[in-house]
Parts: sequence; structure tokens; C-alpha cells
Amino acid sequence: MSTDIAGQAKKMGYKNIKVYLEGEPAWSKAGYPLYASNDFISKGNIVLIDLRSVEKSEAGRIARSVTIPSATLKDKADSIPKKAPVVIYSDSEDEAVSAMKVLKEKGLKKVALVPGNIAGWVKSGGETTSGPVVTTIVWKRQMEKGEVSITDFLKVAEGSATDTVILDVRNQDETTAGMFKNAISIPLDQVGNRKGELPKDKKIYVHCTTGARAGMAAKDLINAGYNAFFLNEDISCKDNTCSVTE
Amino acid sequence: MQKTLIKFIPFLIMASFLTTGCAQTGTTVPQLIPQHGTSGGSRIQDRPYPIFVGNVSNVSNKAKVIAIDVGKGADAKTHLVKFDDKTKGIEYAVVGHASIINYEMRGGEPWATVIKAKLAQLPSGVTEIKTTELKSLLDQGTKFTLVDARPAKRSIEGSLPGAVNIPSDDFKAQANKLPESKDELVVAFCGGPT
Repeated sequence: MSTDIAGQAKKMGYKNIKVYLEGEPAWSKAGYPLYASNDFISKGNIVLIDLRSVEKSEAGRIARSVTIPSATLKDKADSIPKKAPVVIYSDSEDEAVSAMKVLKEKGLKKVALVPGNIAGWVKSGGETTSGPVVTTIVWKRQMEKGEVSITDFLKVAEGSATDTVILDVRNQDETTAGMFKNAISIPLDQVGNRKGELPKDKKIYVHCTTGARAGMAAKDLINAGYNAFFLNEDISCKDNTCSVTE
Repeated sequence: MQKTLIKFIPFLIMASFLTTGCAQTGTTVPQLIPQHGTSGGSRIQDRPYPIFVGNVSNVSNKAKVIAIDVGKGADAKTHLVKFDDKTKGIEYAVVGHASIINYEMRGGEPWATVIKAKLAQLPSGVTEIKTTELKSLLDQGTKFTLVDARPAKRSIEGSLPGAVNIPSDDFKAQANKLPESKDELVVAFCGGPT
């Protein structure tokens, strides 16, 4: 609430206040970079990428970095989990900004830079490490509130559970192509009117194809007093076999 | 007429205060009232449209459903509103943006009729700055304080160069991040135009 801050600052006596109403989305859309905080760089659940050469990276890099030299980034970008927040750095701001654009084109939504790149990090007292570089990306998404894990979901979807049901909120054309055999199908746009078909005394695991519609349905069901959770993963179904990809 | 108006105002004020997101809750009230109050007296009676004011948390084009979060914190409630080809202003249903959704009940379910962006109103004496101007201030090295008013969780992930984070709901505790001189330029931003 930028205007709220402006109003309060004005009350405190600040005379020269401006509001950047279009805010961060407009800044990012213009192709300008965002910068991650030092705390997020050292502790956040991120993929941290050193864009410099292997030699430079070996000599000294930010702890937890994966080394992907700029020239190879385009080829390696697909191995970065799409949902991961990515923080990148180099020894040149231009190189970091170009890399940011490459990653965004590859569909990564959260890409930020290290303020001042490697030099800025060292100057701010950030920790570094040296030795053989790391090239394998290890990243696991942290579950949001209200999510069900793949393991728990599949236990019910593929096995049998007396205390839990699976709700499939995909459209009819999607469910006719295939669905989990234990699932109840109610397309999202009908959930509002057909809640009565669902048990209130059981847990409800909701799924769709990406997790977006499932999340909406689960929230709606929770509002109505149901014990609902959603699967926030990609699902594809064919001939009554569904596969879940993380 | 007078009665209807009086009935409307508390609701609008409440709806406006319940809103989360970027929009300034208090100052939008005067803006909201004329929308209903001054656009012709009879319209109030003619158009008793119910509205949802809140943050759009999800839009499904496959199911043609918008999820809008109304209310704050523990009181927040997500409403699912359907839309169709007749819904006006669907371009304003953007995830993360504050919106006003006029709806009508059809078959026991809310259907969006008109969607509007919930625009923030600037306090008097405060002006707007655009991207290019802000960029040149930064490039020129002008001394000013850039304030990121978004929640800390968002700000730490990635913010504008040199910005300090003062989440708007924690202003009092973190106001010390503002410059010492009351004459220095302060630029505040958050997560969108609304």
C-alpha cells in the first residue's frame, strides 16, 4: 500500500513525497532487475546461480551457489525448476541483466540479482566458499498452507482410504480423457452448487491439472466448512492413468 | 433515497477497509461513494448490485472463475465468482491486483457483471512518479529514499535497487527507515497500480 505509506509519511512532516503507483510489476515489465536481500540469498529456498567462469567460481563464490557460466545458461535453463525463485550474480551487471532476461524468457517468474554482484556481496560481508564447483541443481518446493503432498495424495488416489476422498475439478472434456479411478468429478464452475455431493466428515484432496483450480476449489470448500486440501502439482491423465509431475 | 444512501455508506466503508493488497484503504472511500451516490439518485435504487472488493487471488480461464480474497488476516474469505462473455472489464481481473467485482446471483451462484480496478487515491500534495522518471533518478544517483511498501516476504525476494522495506501494516515500527531530513524525497511503491 504505497499510498498509505505516503499518507503516513506526510503526517510525519515529510514534504517531498512521490508514489510509484505502477510499482514493482511495471518496473519488472520494463526489463529492469530486482535485487534480493542478503538474508534471502544466504538462507532462502532459492536456486543461486554464479554466472561467471568455472575458474572464477572455484576461486571464490557465494555459499550454496550452482555454477552455470553465462554462455551455457540457455541450454541449462530448462533444468531449473519452474517454480523456484532464482537469484543470479556475475562480476558484470550487464551480464547479470542479460541472464535475467534469458531466464524470464524460459518461463521463470521470480528472478532477482545479488546487489552489486560478487563484489557487492563480499563488500557487505557475505559468506563465500571455494573449491570444486557445484553444477547440479537441488531445489524442493516448500508446500503452501492447505496443500497435500504427492505421497499423501497418491496413497488415496491409487489405493483406498475410508477417511479421504479425491475431488477432480477439471472440466468434463478433460475428465473424459482420463481420471483417477477413485475420484469424484465436479468441474470448478459447478463446485459452488454441488458441494452437497461431498462428505463433510471426510478429508477432501482436490486436484486439477496444475493446482490453480484445485487451490480455488479447496479454499471455497474450506469456507463452507469442509476439510479440504489441494494438490499443487502438474497432473496429466490418459486412458484412466494419471501421472503427477513435481 | 436518503435511506438507501445511508445503508450503502457503512457497507462501502466496511468493504473498503476489508480490502487487502496495494490499494490505500481509507482514501478510497470518498472515491467509492460518488460511484454509487452521485451518478444519478435513481441509480442507487435501480442498481442495488452486490459487490466484492478485494484482491484477486486466482483466475481460471478454463473454468471461467475468479477467486477474490475479501477481508484481512484470519477474517479473509475467498469468494469464487463466475464470468462469461458478457462480463465487462475481465482485463481488470489480474492476480494480485485489487478489484471491485459487481456481480449478480444466477442459479444461486455469483456471476461477475462488471469488474473494475480498485484504484488508489493519492493523498493531497503527493504526486505520482512513472518508471522512466524513477529510473533516471536512480541512474543519476539522486539522494532519495525508495520505500518498498510490500510485505517483507515479497520484498526480500526481489526489490527495486536500494529500496528499504517498510510494510504498510508495520509503518509505525519501521518509520525510522525514512530519511532524517523531512525535505528529502521519499518515493513509495508496492505491488501494482491498485
